[in-house]
Amino acid sequence: MAELDARPCPPGDYPVVVVGSGPGGLQTSYYLRRLGIRHAVLSADPAPGGMFRRFPFFQRLLSWTKPYGPVDRRSRGYEWYDWNSLLADEPENRAIMPELMDGTSSFPSRPEMELNLATYARRTGLEVRFGCRWESTRREGDHFVLGTSDGEYRARACVFAVGVAEPWKPDTPGFENVPHYVETRAPETYAGKRLFIVGKQNSGFELASGLLPWAQRIVLVSPRQVKLSVNTHSLLGIRARYIQPVEDEVLGGGVFMLNGPIGRVERSADGVRVFCVRSEGGGELVVDADEAIAATGFTAPLRDLPALGVSVFGQSRLPSLTNYWESTNVPGIYFTGTIGQASGGMKKYGLPSNSGAVHGSRYNARIAVQHLARKHFGFAPEQPAVEPSSLVDYLLNEATAAPELWNQKSYLARAVSLDPTQGMRDEGIVPLADFVDMEGSPAVAITVETDDTGDIHPAVYVREAGRPAVETLLGSQALHDFRTVDNRARLASVLKGLTAGTAR
Amino acid sequence: MPLSQPELVNTLASLSLFADLSRPQVEQVAHRMSEESYPEGQRILRQGFTGSGFYVILEGEVAIRIDGEERARLGRGDFFGEMSILLGEPPVADVVTLRQLHVLHLGGPELEGFLREHPSVMFRMLRTIALRLRNASRWRS
Amino acid sequence: MGMISSQEKAAALAAVPLFAGISDDSMAHLTEVAGEVEFPAGQFIVRQGQVGSGLYVIIHGLARVVRGSTEIASLGPGEFFGELSVIDQEPRMASVEAVRDTRLLAVASWDLLRLLESDPALAQNLIRELARRVRSAGEHHHH
Repeated sequence: MAELDARPCPPGDYPVVVVGSGPGGLQTSYYLRRLGIRHAVLSADPAPGGMFRRFPFFQRLLSWTKPYGPVDRRSRGYEWYDWNSLLADEPENRAIMPELMDGTSSFPSRPEMELNLATYARRTGLEVRFGCRWESTRREGDHFVLGTSDGEYRARACVFAVGVAEPWKPDTPGFENVPHYVETRAPETYAGKRLFIVGKQNSGFELASGLLPWAQRIVLVSPRQVKLSVNTHSLLGIRARYIQPVEDEVLGGGVFMLNGPIGRVERSADGVRVFCVRSEGGGELVVDADEAIAATGFTAPLRDLPALGVSVFGQSRLPSLTNYWESTNVPGIYFTGTIGQASGGMKKYGLPSNSGAVHGSRYNARIAVQHLARKHFGFAPEQPAVEPSSLVDYLLNEATAAPELWNQKSYLARAVSLDPTQGMRDEGIVPLADFVDMEGSPAVAITVETDDTGDIHPAVYVREAGRPAVETLLGSQALHDFRTVDNRARLASVLKGLTAGTAR
Repeated sequence: MPLSQPELVNTLASLSLFADLSRPQVEQVAHRMSEESYPEGQRILRQGFTGSGFYVILEGEVAIRIDGEERARLGRGDFFGEMSILLGEPPVADVVTLRQLHVLHLGGPELEGFLREHPSVMFRMLRTIALRLRNASRWRS
Repeated sequence: MGMISSQEKAAALAAVPLFAGISDDSMAHLTEVAGEVEFPAGQFIVRQGQVGSGLYVIIHGLARVVRGSTEIASLGPGEFFGELSVIDQEPRMASVEAVRDTRLLAVASWDLLRLLESDPALAQNLIRELARRVRSAGEHHHH
């Protein structure tokens, strides 16, 4: 009897092909379905979840979901208290994560997160062709042809949500013998060992925290000094849950942190010998250890996309992206999920966006799909009219409660166009870096920003016809309710010249 | 275009701003700053906007514009953004990419600490700013 | 005018914003190496085109900065000039002439350079002062 392949999305022609079934691929597919755009979703994995099928090894996720937030779980506002659920328009498909958590922590475990994503895919009816590996990419006229383990797919636009989970190690001599983070074993196998961890970012500290009860001694080495997120007032740096090794080091309990590059690694009788160069001077330091682990990072598995013309940069080989997460060199190729962090945005005060995490990238995917639909399939988005007398309130309400603006501070903004001929129209949530540089019709955008003192406040960008936007910072408020008398007055005054002509 | 870590360090070491640093120090700089890529026609520094950073150009070219008028161009090895940070005032000009740009970026709040850690970089910067002052319309001897 | 005491020298230097926040060691060294000079009214302190020999800080009196025949600034007590030439060893771009009898402290190039290299606070003050001047000179090439 012939075996029928019951998997969805067989090879062939599609308007769009999505590669990846982690949070990025799933969120993208959801919104393509909502817009009625036929597409194929391909994944080399056997099941949904992406990186959360394997990582993190120890501990829980760094992103929280608060079962008892101040707003209803099915409401839009709850998205600010739930950084792990994917977005959906139907109430029953929203806020899936809190349903699955056992109540002992507001940080889900890896299995809980994996189940969250699988449940979302099932409930929303997403169709993914699992066990189909993307292998090659070429162009044929204005189409792309993706070669896969199951055959070829042709599409006008492609979305790659392939994550940044390809292990990377520097080619320092001896590193070929140092296992990468992804090869870390069960913690009890490190009992009593002297451990050497290369890398002092979150993956290195995740290992140090997880193995702290088991290892005899832990030495962490990397060129740069440790930064703590509580000091950077952002998600940049070591997160609070991984601070135990830092405290151990400060108190002298068996954890050591060194700043400097590694010269080379040699095998020794009972393990490894690592030759470290100290950045502050003081020459070479030799450290003996039973086991070494390289928590040295990951790259994006972009296969032959660079050969196709997609420009990449940085140690992670991220693609160069426009503000709408499209390749700057190959139009029609988009990136969603964690790769979207390559579109840096404003980066005020050096603070990055949350595009690398689910709670930021899920909004990016929604906007990217809308943009792709407009650009390649002629979709005209709905732009509801805004009553002029309610503009100030609307903007301040968004700054106070819009989860898009809070999850992606200074990166996404609510925009309202003030074109006198069209009346005031809600343009939706837009990438801020695109809004402020566009020289189009008059418009205003509001977002939430943090400065270098940690103060959180609204920021308004007003664009007059033919000129780039002008910035106005509004005032903060102790409980983050920005609808103050002062803010109302200032916002009204800043908009005065532009809104007069649009009153209907 | 994509630089491996050793290539990045080699590129940095070849820039005059970092010419007096030892190799491990250049590696530290490479790790301290973040690599970014911007498409053509993108503003990197925006006139009047708060929160601007410090940038060193690895590859590409930018134009410095005031009210739409181009005043100067910068390329590989040049740096910009430090004036606003040092003076605590927003930029007085836009910096716009003329073609795809590959830069190293350091957040504004980190610049002074960075310069203190690497006095030779501060000194080179001092020389460059002194040169700008010489070219300016009013100066002292 | 008689020679000023070491204490008066230190006080005069401490009052100069350029030296604010530098280490005690640097200030002590500066006081030691700074030499006192006097110029009667009408005499040139430095001349345009000369190779610069150091930085000058005015203690008493009044001087004017002249390029060609144009006066571009006037300087009084606590103000300084000459640092550009120290940094880049280019010839002086302007002359400075004593308007009244003027007393100054002079710091030789090599002494100031050594201090700049060893005291980050001094280098930072100078870099900020130069940046401020570039901005106020209307030189909007940079920011």
